[in-house]
Amino acid sequence: MPGPRLIGDYLAQLSAELPARIVDELADGLDETYRCYLGQGLDQDAAARAAVAEFGEPRVVAAAFTGASSGRRTARRLLAAGPVVGLCWAIALITARAWQWPVPLMAPVVLGVALITVIGLLAAAALGRQYRLVCRAAAAACAGTAILDMTVASTVLAIAPALMWPVAVAVALSAGRSGFAVRSFSRALLG
Amino acid sequence: MRAEELKGHLDALLLAALEDGPRHGYAVMEALRQSTGGRLDLPTGTIYPALHRLETAGLIKGSWSVVAGRRRRQYQLTPAGAGALSGKRADWRDFAAMMTAALEGGPCPDPA
Repeated sequence: MPGPRLIGDYLAQLSAELPARIVDELADGLDETYRCYLGQGLDQDAAARAAVAEFGEPRVVAAAFTGASSGRRTARRLLAAGPVVGLCWAIALITARAWQWPVPLMAPVVLGVALITVIGLLAAAALGRQYRLVCRAAAAACAGTAILDMTVASTVLAIAPALMWPVAVAVALSAGRSGFAVRSFSRALLG
Repeated sequence: MRAEELKGHLDALLLAALEDGPRHGYAVMEALRQSTGGRLDLPTGTIYPALHRLETAGLIKGSWSVVAGRRRRQYQLTPAGAGALSGKRADWRDFAAMMTAALEGGPCPDPA
């Protein structure tokens, strides 16, 4: 975009935080603002300063995009659903006496590590301040949630001696959550 | 009027700014300035994420075009957005009538 260096520097700061398609849109708006001030009689430097000031600090603009990103909203929804689904699974596994099932000793450990990793990714996406970090963490958490849910549900269905209704409810909730996670993956990744 | 005072109302303002037809981000901000007599004091850059949020919610639809060699994203209301704007207008009228009655005295009008 033609214009003084101040505008180029401003856009470079945004580019460090935000994807190109968003920066393109902001560049157009910033250029319009700059031209508006030029039209009011300001010289190039003053118009650029006024345009940049009107747009707001790059970190404020980037933070607003981060807060409005799909990744952030998806992470918050998955975090909110987590305790409900977790409680259902706890009730289901206790009701079905899952500790008596023939499960390899390491399976609960692997499951626990995977669960903590997914929760960590969701927390990073829900609370992170950097746009790209939030989007990537949310997408990874979506993939992790879907894999975790489907693995647990299919394993339980395969080894449970009988399908009790608490298990059926937990499996249905996990299937619904993994469907949501799969649908949200690409949107979260793109922001 | 600052951003924190607008909390909860920005979506309605943005939808209203798009009611007359498609606009790009800067034109939305200009429309808001005009309709509020210049009293709106928001960093222009923060309008764009709000537009993206409304687009994700399906209330507006964005499309790219090329103007004077630059890529420009324009937004327009969707039918869902027009419906949401009507609802927000009705909510605002009720809220404003209630607050006016409470702060200035007088009867509170019955909700329609």
